[in-house]
Amino acid sequence: MPKLTLKFENAILGEVPVGAKEVSIGRSPDNAMVIDNPAVSHYHARVFNEEGRMMLEDFGSMNGTFVNGQRVKMVMLKAGDCVTVGKHTIVVSDSRELDGFAAASGNGGAMKPAAPKINETVMLDTKERREFLQKVAAVGESVQVAPARVKVATLVVRNGKTDRKEYTLTDKLTVVGKSALATVKLKGWFAPKAAAQINRREDNSYYIGAADKMPSVNGKAIAHPTKLSSGDVIAVAGIEMEFVLRD
Amino acid sequence: MSTTAKPMMGTLLEFGARSDVGRMRENNEDSFRAAPELGLFVLSDGMGGLEAGEVASKLTVETVLAHCRDAEADPDLPYRGEQLAGASDASNRLASAIQAANKVVRAAAGFDDADGPAAGRDADSAGTATSAPKGMGATVVALQFLGERVSVAHVGDSRAYRLRAGEFLQLTEDHSLVAQQVREGRMTTSEAEASPLKNVLMRALGVDTAVEVDVDEEIVIEGDTYVLCSDGLTRELTDGQIAAVLTETANPQNAADRLIELANQAGGGDNITAIVVRVGAKSGGRLGKIGRWITGNGN
Repeated sequence: MPKLTLKFENAILGEVPVGAKEVSIGRSPDNAMVIDNPAVSHYHARVFNEEGRMMLEDFGSMNGTFVNGQRVKMVMLKAGDCVTVGKHTIVVSDSRELDGFAAASGNGGAMKPAAPKINETVMLDTKERREFLQKVAAVGESVQVAPARVKVATLVVRNGKTDRKEYTLTDKLTVVGKSALATVKLKGWFAPKAAAQINRREDNSYYIGAADKMPSVNGKAIAHPTKLSSGDVIAVAGIEMEFVLRD
Repeated sequence: MSTTAKPMMGTLLEFGARSDVGRMRENNEDSFRAAPELGLFVLSDGMGGLEAGEVASKLTVETVLAHCRDAEADPDLPYRGEQLAGASDASNRLASAIQAANKVVRAAAGFDDADGPAAGRDADSAGTATSAPKGMGATVVALQFLGERVSVAHVGDSRAYRLRAGEFLQLTEDHSLVAQQVREGRMTTSEAEASPLKNVLMRALGVDTAVEVDVDEEIVIEGDTYVLCSDGLTRELTDGQIAAVLTETANPQNAADRLIELANQAGGGDNITAIVVRVGAKSGGRLGKIGRWITGNGN
């Protein structure tokens, strides 16, 4: 289903899917999408589904709601639109999430528009997505998710020689090693170029994987890239670090 | 800016690639390009009736290559689409190149986007004079090596894999309906393989005015082997079979050839394309040995 991604400059602050239930946007904490900023009204605007169309309505907010730079009262949204509220941006996209689709299509398999010929790859075009959306809306919607608070991922060094004691992970790729592109710089003659790598994925989860060395997480060697949880202790190349998610 | 750095300084890349029509299809709708001087490898699987799929995949790989080449010459070349938080310039450039390809495919499909290139650019080669090809689209998967980092970008169900120290890892997640349902725990892998809906893509180039591109970054380690492939390979061979070929076959071109051969033996139900890139020892210079470049599409 489509989703709204709340952004401030380059930082993604949260994501809310647009289903059958409307998404209210505002400063009050009871909104589905809370934007904690004085430039935003308590109940600023809403995004709702009207016969499969995604609509945006401004509640007569003080500072206005803008879509692709144009001030709007009520407008239809489509993927790629940029909604501006105060200094925040809400990006409209068609996410990979199609919650409820399995139930919808399992019901007699009525998926005519996209039913492919044997071995022929098909794409869901916009009209088909809209029909999906209607179907999904009819089946009943998942619970609204309040935008996740952005947590700051940090590595705290417990043991071993590194250039710093703490690292904030902001990049897609974080390398532990002696390499020039390493964030966690190892010292010493025999330190590996790249002992391990940590990847930040699209959903802001972090995975640790092997590079020149096989890291261990909480004392267990990892065979595959492993998702990190707050409090996990990573050991690699003589370094021991704790992965911490902070509010 | 790091984009001006030499792409493969000190790292030896060897590659081999092949594309094959398979045993069931009449046309090859896959395309690929390799530009080792840019550290760039790109593969696309086209979709659409008549020759639209061939046009779409060819436009995709050519646009990605052209955009990256232009950026190499002019690091200030504007980026298409949004900048990705925490991503390197090279990753942003690759995503930008894919956005550019999306525009070009849309234009060729007859969409009249405000800022796209002229519509119907390849209408002639689409084989019909009456109307622009409908439902033209393409997947894309691309690798860009820069120094010790490689950017992996993709849209659709063409994949990137990496073999590192015996571990064979899929680096991309398919943007297909069944893959999504497997990720959400609604379906098992074997159910997904048997599903009549396994051909439904959730994302492709040519569908919307902008496309959501997945980009990841990996550290490059000596001995790594990377594979880009179309679904014609992964429908026929298991991960284990692919990993075995990469392990047993030292020469990347031989490995690519062998993968195609095995996929054809297993049925060859779709077009099959594979690019195999092996990271060798330090060359000490800018560029090491460059693998043979085999054009698979008569391009």
